[in-house]
Amino acid sequence: MADFWRQTHWLFRALFLVLAMLLLFTRLLPLSHAPGTLPGPDVLICLILAWIVRRPDFLPMPLIALVILIEDLVLLRPPGLWTAIVVVATEFLRSRIILTRELNFLVEWMLVSGVMLAMMLAYRLGLGLAFVPQPPFGFAIVQMLWSIALYPLVVGLSRLIFDLRKPATGEIDNFGRRL
Amino acid sequence: MAKTRTGPEDFQRPLRRLLVGIAVLLLLGLFLLWRIDSPRVERFRASLIDAVVPSMNWVMAPVTWASGVLGDFQSYNQLLEQNRELRAELRKMEAWKEAALQLEQKNARLLDLNKVRLDPKFTYVTGVVMADSGSPFRQSVLLNVGARDGIRDGWATMDGIGLVGRISGVGERTARVILVTDTNSRIPVTVQPSGQKAILSGDNSPLPPLEFIDDTDEVRPGDRVVTSGDGGVFPAGLLVGQVVLSTDKRLRVVLAADYQRLEFLRVLRSHELEPITDPGHLIAPPLLPPQPDTSAATLEEAAGAPPAETEGGNVEAAGSGAAEGEGDSDG
Repeated sequence: MADFWRQTHWLFRALFLVLAMLLLFTRLLPLSHAPGTLPGPDVLICLILAWIVRRPDFLPMPLIALVILIEDLVLLRPPGLWTAIVVVATEFLRSRIILTRELNFLVEWMLVSGVMLAMMLAYRLGLGLAFVPQPPFGFAIVQMLWSIALYPLVVGLSRLIFDLRKPATGEIDNFGRRL
Repeated sequence: MAKTRTGPEDFQRPLRRLLVGIAVLLLLGLFLLWRIDSPRVERFRASLIDAVVPSMNWVMAPVTWASGVLGDFQSYNQLLEQNRELRAELRKMEAWKEAALQLEQKNARLLDLNKVRLDPKFTYVTGVVMADSGSPFRQSVLLNVGARDGIRDGWATMDGIGLVGRISGVGERTARVILVTDTNSRIPVTVQPSGQKAILSGDNSPLPPLEFIDDTDEVRPGDRVVTSGDGGVFPAGLLVGQVVLSTDKRLRVVLAADYQRLEFLRVLRSHELEPITDPGHLIAPPLLPPQPDTSAATLEEAAGAPPAETEGGNVEAAGSGAAEGEGDSDG
């Protein structure tokens, strides 16, 4: 049992949870945001996509679903739809981990951008199908562009601070298993 | 990646897919549930936020405070610049203030030159209304002051606030006041603030209409109506009333004087008035003795008097001739 807890991914899962809560917390802060200002990036999505491309075992699906669902509920979004889309997107990237491991950063960035765009479109499509009133399209586009622009920064910071990177070929974990 | 691992992970792949599918379906179901039965989900959301957010409050407070401090610091940084801007603005304002003071002084000088004020020479005799003629055709009252008290024909009569009428017919102890509402009453008035001249002509209704307004668009309901002093009968600047727009789209005047209770009236003495010798010359400008060069005399007279004076006087004369005749026959 002690071995089980020595695995690094538990550490990173806890770290992810803390980071997600911190981000949610900053978005809840009552710093006056005048209505009509353009939205900033969705940092949490950048974080999730950056980590899932590098170490998918750090972010199990239930953890992602839980975090996004809480965010949905707390930020007064329609609950469930965005969560489902994020889960599908992360599963899509997770299943292509063997491919993405070979990609250099530029191509990976483009792939992630495409995923973000698809997520945004799917979200708006879902809201539209359910006749839910939604914010203007320009706002969503601006937020997505911000997220895309922020993605390299999130990757770089994760690399610098948490030493999070794609495992090299033949790299093994603490138990001697290949990654 | 699961493939590369050894052991029990081999059978995890289809199971995983199943789990993900179930999770996505559940989440979409939640979304649909929210869409269909929004109040229930919103209640759950509210209770969740209730439980979570207040407990974060004690963390939020210092962060908010710190960001407030940061904002304050930034505004302190801009203080110097702001101060400079305000000083510049203040200098501009000083210039404006100076201009305003100069204009005020100039205005006072001009007013002084024009003697624009109610003449303090006016003294008045107060009389008590003895009787008023209740007839629908004659709007006049009788005062208990007359020639004995120095009352003369044509003097203006006011109650405490506004113009009531004009003396028309003086007996030894009584004087008849023909009210503004009488059909024979024509009073030259000015509508303020536009300064439009008009004739207030009585028509036996409680709201006498304004006639001969130059530009009706300039006159708005609510404007003040004062006597203009044209014609030399009334002193200028006596308050008459306020303009209203009646239902028949005519501009009428709500009289400031309280016509329901005409009890004590002031008769204003105006000494400049020429003595009235016969009814026809009640209002007209004093006749000069016939001179050989009449054209020069009339020119001079026209130069000395405001141009509207003769005009107003004529209208006044036309209106009051009959009234005077009436008064005479009464007396």
